[in-house]
Amino acid sequence: MNRLRRYSLPYLVWMGIFILIPTVVLLILAFSDLSLYRPGTFRLSLANFAIFSLPTTQRAIWNSFRFAGIAAAICFIIGYPVAFYLSKLGIRVRKILISLLIVPLWSNMLLRINAWEKIFTANSIVTDVFGLSISLVGTDAAIVLGMVAMYLPFMVFPIFSVLEKMDPKLVEAARDLGANDVQTFFRVVFPLSGGGVISGFVMTFLPALTTFVLPAYLGLGKYTLIGTLIESKFIKEAADSRALSINQGSLISLFLMILSITAFLLVIRVDKEGETLI
Amino acid sequence: MRKVLRDRLYKGIGLTFLAATLLILYAPILVILVLSVNDSRRGYAWEGFTLKWYSALFTGSALTEPILNTLAVAFTATAVATVLGTIFAIGINALEKKRRVKMVLLNNIPVVNPDIVTAISLMIVFSLLSLTFGFGTVLLAHIFFSMPYVILSILPALRKLDANLYEAGLDLGCSRGQAVTKVILPNIATGIFSGAMMAFTMSIDDFVITYFTSGANYMNVSTWLYSKLRLPQAFTPAAYAYNIIIFAVTIAVIVSSNLVNVRKERLKNEKIG
Amino acid sequence: MGKRTKQALSVGFFRASAFVLHAGTVMFVPFGGAAMSKKMIVLNHIYKSYGDLKVLDDFNLYINENEFITLLGPSGCGKTTCLRLIGGFEAPDSGTIEFDGKIINGLEPNQREINTCFQKYALFPHLDVFGNIAFGLRLKKIPKEEITQRVEEVLRLVKMEGLGSRTVSTLSGGQQQRVAIARAIVNRPKVLLLDEPLGALDLKLRQEMQYELKEMQKELGITFVYVTHDQEEALTMSDTIVIMNEGKILQIGTPEDIYNEPKNRFVANFIGESNLFEGIMHEDYLVEFCGRSFECVDKGFRKDEPVDVVIRPEDFDFVPPSKGKIVGIVDSLLFKGVHYEINVIVDGREYTIHTTKFRDIGVKVGLSVDPDNIHVMKRSGA
Repeated sequence: MNRLRRYSLPYLVWMGIFILIPTVVLLILAFSDLSLYRPGTFRLSLANFAIFSLPTTQRAIWNSFRFAGIAAAICFIIGYPVAFYLSKLGIRVRKILISLLIVPLWSNMLLRINAWEKIFTANSIVTDVFGLSISLVGTDAAIVLGMVAMYLPFMVFPIFSVLEKMDPKLVEAARDLGANDVQTFFRVVFPLSGGGVISGFVMTFLPALTTFVLPAYLGLGKYTLIGTLIESKFIKEAADSRALSINQGSLISLFLMILSITAFLLVIRVDKEGETLI
Repeated sequence: MRKVLRDRLYKGIGLTFLAATLLILYAPILVILVLSVNDSRRGYAWEGFTLKWYSALFTGSALTEPILNTLAVAFTATAVATVLGTIFAIGINALEKKRRVKMVLLNNIPVVNPDIVTAISLMIVFSLLSLTFGFGTVLLAHIFFSMPYVILSILPALRKLDANLYEAGLDLGCSRGQAVTKVILPNIATGIFSGAMMAFTMSIDDFVITYFTSGANYMNVSTWLYSKLRLPQAFTPAAYAYNIIIFAVTIAVIVSSNLVNVRKERLKNEKIG
Repeated sequence: MGKRTKQALSVGFFRASAFVLHAGTVMFVPFGGAAMSKKMIVLNHIYKSYGDLKVLDDFNLYINENEFITLLGPSGCGKTTCLRLIGGFEAPDSGTIEFDGKIINGLEPNQREINTCFQKYALFPHLDVFGNIAFGLRLKKIPKEEITQRVEEVLRLVKMEGLGSRTVSTLSGGQQQRVAIARAIVNRPKVLLLDEPLGALDLKLRQEMQYELKEMQKELGITFVYVTHDQEEALTMSDTIVIMNEGKILQIGTPEDIYNEPKNRFVANFIGESNLFEGIMHEDYLVEFCGRSFECVDKGFRKDEPVDVVIRPEDFDFVPPSKGKIVGIVDSLLFKGVHYEINVIVDGREYTIHTTKFRDIGVKVGLSVDPDNIHVMKRSGA
């Protein structure tokens, strides 16, 4: 069996290339004025941090955290009861319902966001066919609701996975010792599902934080979020080499990386078996 | 009995939330369905029923090339990621605990990183290597981000396997290669299959990573949509039709696999009973 | 420790004052001069089915206060279901369950003054040992100082003092077992239900725990209702054993009663090892089996009634072949430590003997048995 170990080596190399090197490059770019496309000057400096003093940046960061946070909270409020209910159902029904929750995720994200845009627009095709006329495009609510609509299943699955695996005898033991339904839930079931809840939050919050398509469509381009910032820094502004946009973008990306690795370590600590990541 | 009432209440609440969730998830799909049979290029209003977008998919439209690109990348990336992922998973599983844990941690980084960060990283590496952006870079990128899912899918199956199986194979006369193919692989087949499914799913729908690694000329369905959705002239609702077809296919696959399982169960019970 | 020695110890250990209950009828037969205790739990005409499977079939039982009663039987006999009905985790299809004089059919587990020790312990992984034990007390809103005092008292009782802050995952199986018991008894229930609690422990530990559980029960004065499929365990600990099979009670009695006077073939086979013969009861005190007539101490059968006869392996003795009523050849010999297990073939039939005397394979031997040790039972269906 030990001779099979060698087959993991190429993977180590592969991951090293695609994770380590970019991180190093990002670090270099973030802390200097090196240009990626036309290596010219190379001066280490903290000049790129200036971007955080811009009100647009600050507003983008604030909005991203605000929207993603509220969306994650809403996903939790809706998602936990759903996960709980599912965990109580018979195994056949459970499988079917879980499949039903997964299938929409296979539809193209852009088309789904496009569909929500039409739903949130007054007098759109949705009005013609369903008689519904909501005017929410371009508002905070549209973005938050859009996030919920996209990421809700990612809150349900980790929580469901943990609840499903819980030993039912623990509930019986709690009732045996005198706990009623409410007490059993808050003192036994909920604490034990903590790992799933944290995973669910991470899997919902981080993608919501970094999306740029969502604000583009549902916010009608009026909102700049972290994702939008990065997109513009790397794609739109990159042509102008004087503006150091890639360096600034790298800095922002680095912060995102730190944030997500921290969240990852948090999930690892509460979920020893690594079950809830998928 | 108060307990019965209470149980009904809980059930009612659960059902309501579940219904709300399903509504939220399927509303956009319904809208897409409507848009796919709407006789209008812009999709602002209902202009009559038509199936021409479906036929356009097959007779040729601006969407055809992106679709072919998407499928090409998805199938190739899945195949490569599954094969390599299986080999690597077997290798990782054979490591001693400390190194294995570290490898799994490393493996999970692309899974946890927001895709925009992964996308940027890949873009940087490709630039540094002076690669031309196109099919090659997209393929590499897709292989990169699918493999961790394949490995994450196979590792638990490997761990469940009795550690002695491989040695039992050797004991009975297998060469090392045969021990792997005849003993290990058949037992992790479900893990491999679900890993492949995950890889395919991640690839076929990917937007962000493809966006940053495809350059100006190569498009998959998602990047094509991003550039064209706001331009009604260049956009074609065949995209909606494409989505609905994919949706229908996936539902059919799930229903049929569930039916197969139900039949298997019934046959098993008949044999016993 | 051989079975016989343990048997002897058990005999000396227990008071013989159980009430014997025959299925369907209620009779009091107090003996040994003990006082009548009140009935703590009464199960009346309980029926329980899962789909087509009848698990309990017109089941009637009562359990006395302070009794250590064991439900013993093979898997699927209904003993665990019976326990769960008492605990409130399942409801009977029909019939009543009384607790301390009141009917408790409708009561939830958390409303019953009964606590359970689960088979796989069911300790809360998110609480430490103290938290687990204090769980029930905290629900009752008992003041903190009293909780601490009671928890520590019970930790001492189960020999786990000082381990209150340990997490469940760091405990060994035996320790988890004790915490599970502690968690249940700290609530001072009137009845403690134990669902095969010692199943996951190794032999030595099991034997130790059996002794400790028995001591605990006597000290605490709680009624213990114990479920197991291990007959040695039942014989060691119980005041009363209820032998069950297929949802019905086959026999109730003290361990010695059941061991020495099994009522039918199933019980004889289930408890201890036995040599079973089909015989005919010619008249009182005279039974014929294997072609020979024997004097015995049973009576009350019809003339020439077909019966089952059971003789325990340890009750046969070797005698010179010329002097023995039963003569045969030694067929197999196993050394079991405390005794030899010797199979003797007599007229084509195999007799199993437990003895400390050595007889080699192929040797001709004679067997003798005291009339006291020939036990006659009503014939069971094929």
